[in-house]
Amino acid sequence: MIKASVGIDCGSASCKGVLLQEDAVLASCVQSTGWSPRETSRAVLEQLLAKTGLARENVHIVATGYGRVSIDFAQRAVTEITCHGLGADYLLPGVRTVIDIGGQDSKVIAVEAGQVRSFQMNNKCAAGTGRFLEMSANRMGIDLAEFASLLPEGKSCSLSSMCAVFADSEIISLLAAGKSREEVAGGIIQLVVDRAVALAARVESSPPILLTGGLAGMEGLRIALERQLGQPVAASDLSRFAGAIGAARTYWMRKARK
Amino acid sequence: MIQKKTELPQIFESFGEARKNGFLAMKKMKDNGKGVVGQFCSYTPLEIFMAAGLVSVGLCSTSDETIPEAEKVLPANLCPLIKSSYGFAITDKCPYMYFSDLVVGETTCDGKVKMYELLAKKKNVHILELPRRQDTPEAKALWRAELVRLKERVEKDFGAAISDEHLRDAIHRRNIERRLLKELYELSTMAPPPITGLRQLQILFGSQFKFNWDEKVAEIQNAIDSIRAAYEAGERPVPADVPRILITGCPMGGVTEKVVKVIEEAGAVVVAFENCTGAKPMDRQCREEGDPLTNIADHYLQIGCAVMTPDNNRFELLGRLCEQFQVNGVVEMTLQACHAYAVEAHSVKAFLQEKGIPYLQLETDYGSADIGQLSTRAGAFVEML
Repeated sequence: MIKASVGIDCGSASCKGVLLQEDAVLASCVQSTGWSPRETSRAVLEQLLAKTGLARENVHIVATGYGRVSIDFAQRAVTEITCHGLGADYLLPGVRTVIDIGGQDSKVIAVEAGQVRSFQMNNKCAAGTGRFLEMSANRMGIDLAEFASLLPEGKSCSLSSMCAVFADSEIISLLAAGKSREEVAGGIIQLVVDRAVALAARVESSPPILLTGGLAGMEGLRIALERQLGQPVAASDLSRFAGAIGAARTYWMRKARK
Repeated sequence: MIQKKTELPQIFESFGEARKNGFLAMKKMKDNGKGVVGQFCSYTPLEIFMAAGLVSVGLCSTSDETIPEAEKVLPANLCPLIKSSYGFAITDKCPYMYFSDLVVGETTCDGKVKMYELLAKKKNVHILELPRRQDTPEAKALWRAELVRLKERVEKDFGAAISDEHLRDAIHRRNIERRLLKELYELSTMAPPPITGLRQLQILFGSQFKFNWDEKVAEIQNAIDSIRAAYEAGERPVPADVPRILITGCPMGGVTEKVVKVIEEAGAVVVAFENCTGAKPMDRQCREEGDPLTNIADHYLQIGCAVMTPDNNRFELLGRLCEQFQVNGVVEMTLQACHAYAVEAHSVKAFLQEKGIPYLQLETDYGSADIGQLSTRAGAFVEML
């Protein structure tokens, strides 16, 4: 008998899982995706079951994220766009716009009552994605947490390159020219924000707006987005689990419909 | 008169079976004295070649196989259709390009125009100057004069005499073919449709590579009859409750089948194609009474394509097809760097928004690197319908 649903959002950088019973998140878990989305997803599932003491046959599993196709033990696969819409509506009921900055994609999704109305995604290019931030932080010799800590200063400098590879050499030049790490970090965040705002303009976004994805906890990013959009942008402690929550929710939504 | 090429290319032996057969079929026609005209675009008036007893074939090559070769000359960020076409021309890998005695290009876009100039160094090329207006007397006069020039070129190059009678007969035959292909794709107005979109595209695309007209129309008729018979016998290859999608935008076929595949794998069905392989050139009939060359010119000039300004005919057809096929959503496929379609996509979106029809634009090229992203986009679109 099914007692709970498990949503597994296996992204390019990290694999997130939640276990959902009706409207309650009973457990969550995140792991670095590594080289095998299937094995990592399996490990995430085992952890969720161990945390809640539920048996495998008591859960319905829904997969999402780029690795969804390889999660062969899932009962269903749903795209991350639909899942982020549903997950965001759970985290911020009545949300109308979801900005998801993920590992290899950034997306802006217009939703109504959790249903996707339209969406925009970046093209096959790392500009404006989590990967872009990670590469930039690496270039500065720091990790993402340290990178985030540089942002509250509100300092910035101008970076002209949208391309991750070109931006990399631009960062080297700026640092060499004596710009501080705070200024360069601010400039990099501005590039990410500009890209997200451009996507948002194409879906005619409206408030309330929720930031989801792995970078949602980066306060400096959220504030820069607010400034650029001229509107409040919310984030939740569970923002990075939005896709997984949405995946798990699809089970309960279908059940309610039947 | 030109020298017709009848020997096989030197790299023939290394070719795959399908292409080998294409070469052999084409060679057989050449050995039987047939002249071959290759063309790239739906605006090319095929009746003129038909009237001259020539075989015509679409050269818009649809695979990325020869793109690296083309990129030695052409810029990498150019439309894949242009790069692929040129690549096939310089590598002798396409039987149709290889055996074309005359290649007819047209001024539909700047990239193609300049590519044709390079192509003219390798092949016997004739360029049609296509106006960008469809409704002015000047545009109509220019286009008719271009067709006169093409007719004279064909007569000269192939030593043929094209009479009005020949042209009238060709119009009549092409009308039959257009009517049949339209009847075929209109089978998918039924709910549920009797065939998948992938199957429809394969039939429409494949019909361009049947060179014996009588056999071609018989085969299309046969396809219509067998699809209808199977449907009446209760065969339902598509479930009744899946969303119905119309595809619009750039020319499709070959590797761009991937777009239809991701949509149908996501659980929808493609019922109609407002593309050059599809309704665009088949929707209307050519007038049969009166001056045949004027009729042909008028007919082709009215094709709705993003190269026209204004492009009212495309929107008229698109709106009509959405209604006729009862579509739940429209997906526009634009090829990388096809500016005309990419810019017009904004107007298409607005046009459909007004009708309350969900719309998704997918930009792609001839590679397979973006299949993951395409399937996420198409999947999310189908999920939201």
